[in-house]
Formats: sequence, C-alpha cells, structure tokens
Amino acid sequence: MKRRLNQEPERTEINVSPLIDLVFILLIFFIVATSFVNEVGITPKHKDTASSSSNLEEPLSFDLPASGQLLQDGMVIGIDQVAPLVRSSSADKAPSVLVRVSPGARAGLATQVMDQAMLAGAQAVKLSPLAQ
Amino acid sequence: MRARNRKIETSDTDAINVSPLIDVVFILLIFFIVSATFVTLPGIEVTRPQAVTGKALEKNAVIFALSGENEIKYAGSTVQLDEIPALVEQASKDRGKPVVIQVDQWADASLLAKIVAQARKKSTDVSIATRKPRA
Repeated sequence: MKRRLNQEPERTEINVSPLIDLVFILLIFFIVATSFVNEVGITPKHKDTASSSSNLEEPLSFDLPASGQLLQDGMVIGIDQVAPLVRSSSADKAPSVLVRVSPGARAGLATQVMDQAMLAGAQAVKLSPLAQ
Repeated sequence: MRARNRKIETSDTDAINVSPLIDVVFILLIFFIVSATFVTLPGIEVTRPQAVTGKALEKNAVIFALSGENEIKYAGSTVQLDEIPALVEQASKDRGKPVVIQVDQWADASLLAKIVAQARKKSTDVSIATRKPRA
C-alpha cells in the first residue's frame, strides 16, 4: 500500500475510457433504434350509429362497384365531380358522406373519393363494405 | 516557438481532457432516449394513394399495411382480419394509440373498409396513409 502511494504520488484520476465506450454504445443503439416515421394521411371521422338524429337525413352516398367506376345515385361520375356534389348537397351544414365499396374496387379510388369529400368540407366520411 | 512553449506546458500531463466530450455524448444520448418511440413497422412498402387533404399523422401509432396482393401485414408478418382488434389493443396498452393503415392503391377497397371497421373497435383515431400529389 505504502509502496503504491510512493509510486503514484499525485495521479488519482479515474479512468473514464470504459465509461465513454459504454455511453457510445448506448448512443449508437438509440440512434439506430430511432425510426423517424413521417406519415401523411387522411383521417375519415364518422359518428357511430348510436345517435338517432343522424338517421333522419340520408347521407350523400357514393358507390364503387367492382368495375372500377364511381357511381352516385346510379350515374357514373368522375372523380372531379365529387367535391361539387358534396358542396351542393347541403350548403348550410357540414354534410356526411358514405362511400360504399364492392369487393374488387380499388382502394386508391376509394381514398381519392374520401379525400375529395373532405376537401369539400364533409365532416363525417364513412367507408362501408358491401356484401358479396 | 509557440509549439515548443505548449509542449513544455503540457509535458507532465499529456492526456486529453475528455470531460466535455462526455458531456456532449451524454446530451446526445438523452436526446435519442427521449425521442425514441419504437414504432413497429409492417415490413412492406406500398404505393400509397394520392390525396390533397393529407395531414401529418402522429408518429407513435399502430401501423398496419394492406399490400397490393390483399395481404394484411403487421410487424413483418401476415395477419388475418379478425386478429386486428386484439393486435391494436395489445400494441396500444391502454394509451389509446392511433391506428395508421398503409394501403396500396391497387388493393381491394372493401378489405380496406373492413380493416378500418375492425380497427375502430379498439381505437377512435384510424387514418389512411397517403402521399402528396406531385404539383
């Protein structure tokens, strides 16, 4: 003991190299594990059917059959006609829109219809599947 | 001349002072610990449909993917439609995480509607991932 004190008279610093190694490993782990997911998307909100007042008025509905067309009230329309239809359906209040999709319809078209309806100010957009 | 002076000054303690380095590394470490969210990715890349009203979604979400072959993907594996509510509840852990569905634009829309309906059983906030149309 005394001999060691004689050998190192004033060097009492802690060796921090293992600490740095450990902290660097932790740092690299958290850098790698951090996934910066930046997702852009639409959130179609719809009221659940518990409220009875919403049943009184028929929502504006669009149909997407398997043929890839877009129908509104039995007539084939284009995607750019969705927003004017939603706007004109109810000028005073925020309309609700129902998108009925058949098996075989494309999700891209359904998303675009919902997007156009929300662009026109629709508050409640519901996506409902039709039976086979 | 100057170099020689410095050499003389630091001749007895020629170790680099690492305390500022440790400070900086600790601050970086704390930043990455705090910002880590550990999102479980679905494991496939899909072609998102274009939408003009798309808004930035919450990063800490439960992410499902619907591929162009109409397979539902979660955390790298294919899942069935009726497993979705349990998966959302398990991943959300009572914190009410939102659900994000990455859908391929050529996927089946009725399957997308069923996934939305299943996810809404357990989460109030269900979004569909889109991409900005090129101007």
